[in-house]
Amino acid sequence: MKQIPLIIGAILFSTLFCHQSIGLNLVLFSLLTICILAINHLKTFKNTTTLILSSVYILTAISVFFYGSQLAITANCIAFITFVGHFSESKSSIYVNWLNGLYTTVARFFEHQLNSNSKKSGDKFKRDIDYLQWTKVIGIPILTVIIFISLYKNGNPVFSDFISKIDFSFINFQWFLFAVLGYYLLFNISKPTAVDPATVADLNTGNNLAKNDDYSEEKLKKENQLGLVLLALLNILIVFFLITDVSYLLTIEQLNAPQLSNQVHSGINALIASIVIAIAIILYFFRGNLNYFEANKPLKTLSYIWIALNILLVLSIALKNYQYIFAFGFTYKRIGVVIYLLLTLIGLLSTTIKVNRIKNIWYLMRVNTQAAFFILIVASAINWDSHITQYNLYYAQTTDFNYLINLSENNAFILKDYSDLMVLKGEKQSKINTKYRRYVRSLKANSWQETRFDNFKIH
Amino acid sequence: MNTPLILAKSSLLSFCIFWGIIFIVDFEPGMFGFIVLSIIPISIVCSAFILFTIFPFFWRKSNEVSKANIFRTYFPFYAIIVFGFSLFGTIIAKFYIFPISFFASAFFTTMQAWVWFSRDYKNKTPQ
Repeated sequence: MKQIPLIIGAILFSTLFCHQSIGLNLVLFSLLTICILAINHLKTFKNTTTLILSSVYILTAISVFFYGSQLAITANCIAFITFVGHFSESKSSIYVNWLNGLYTTVARFFEHQLNSNSKKSGDKFKRDIDYLQWTKVIGIPILTVIIFISLYKNGNPVFSDFISKIDFSFINFQWFLFAVLGYYLLFNISKPTAVDPATVADLNTGNNLAKNDDYSEEKLKKENQLGLVLLALLNILIVFFLITDVSYLLTIEQLNAPQLSNQVHSGINALIASIVIAIAIILYFFRGNLNYFEANKPLKTLSYIWIALNILLVLSIALKNYQYIFAFGFTYKRIGVVIYLLLTLIGLLSTTIKVNRIKNIWYLMRVNTQAAFFILIVASAINWDSHITQYNLYYAQTTDFNYLINLSENNAFILKDYSDLMVLKGEKQSKINTKYRRYVRSLKANSWQETRFDNFKIH
Repeated sequence: MNTPLILAKSSLLSFCIFWGIIFIVDFEPGMFGFIVLSIIPISIVCSAFILFTIFPFFWRKSNEVSKANIFRTYFPFYAIIVFGFSLFGTIIAKFYIFPISFFASAFFTTMQAWVWFSRDYKNKTPQ
């Protein structure tokens, strides 16, 4: 009986995705996934985290329906893997959910095959031989007949003509192949499994750092001394860097695009190196018993100052990036810088908590991967192309028109409205009209599975 | 351990998946000659890949832990890595039918080979 929903699901999967591009079908598949999991794990749906993850999964699918962006599709895939992985082990960390979800999605069938075989003894083994026999009975004659047909075709023109008249086009083999793929996928996710070593290790690892048995006062004193000298020097260095940075910004009246670009990108490179080294140094010194060393307060204070100064560095880059955007508009790279800065800020704050509350490295991993997942989901729910186009056309001081034309077709309607409003002529109008017509044509060609929100705008 | 039999079964499975997908999606009658000849390279590539990437797991540690444990410990990571490479290869090859067929057969054959290697031991284990 449990096979029936899977078979129905496989037929639906093939109907939704065979020869179709992405659109409404992804929303329907997301609902199908939730239904399949609900049939097998209804009790898990009483869990709040499960409900949140299913909402997130649906949200990303709706984002795909509305914008169809690559980011939304990527977010939907990651949300799918997280959601499936959550059913493997609901108490595990999000990165273990990803591992479990991916494993379940791609290879659970084979683990099931091995386990079902080990549960049954000799009788089952006989059944396997029967399968082999069936494969032989069907496969070998078909293969042999096909080979002989090809040989006879070359030897007799009448036979060749007769064979070429046989038409199997009424059978859609590709549809069948998609249905098999759908069955494989739905079978795998119907009962998610866990990657044992990783899941067990994750469940057994808490967030707090325990005191090590190897506690040596003398050794810790030396380590504390080294940490103090190193962090003091690094603090002096970063203060000097920030002073020169701010003075440079204040003395220059107006930066041009290449100068700003150089400032932002070289700043980002410095930031990447600085933050990675900052976190690595702090993790090194606070990896063990130094957390419990009584005289560690100066070292902790220096660490907090070091983190605070790194946050100032983040704000300095953010300011430059803001100036860059204000003058030359949004681009994906500039938005990427904002997101990177946000993630960096979260990384630094979580490191502060780690030092303050004596947490381990897994705490950092858990918090930061959750933050990255959350930011990805929020970012996927935003129509970036539309916002970039609106801002650059109506608010930015200068606009790179070709950049807007080269964005995805999500901004075609906005560009068309702008062209009509400003009564554009010449090359700009021609480019906008070409993009608009191409998009409308592709929307009209969409099947019901490929329907997107913009389809309703053209009627 | 009956490794030659597993290699033979894997080669046959790989051959069937590879040509099965091509047969369904984009088959031309002129391919028959290639189909017959392809048994040789498919068997060589398939056997070599299995011997180098799966067989060592069962060969080196068979005296220490059971094959089921080896499967449970290493198979998930192996499956994810092979899937990752297969997906990457398919994307790099711009979703043409031959690369899809090649990577699909490689993925499913290696997965099934793991099951065969693990099961081979179980059948010989005294109950």
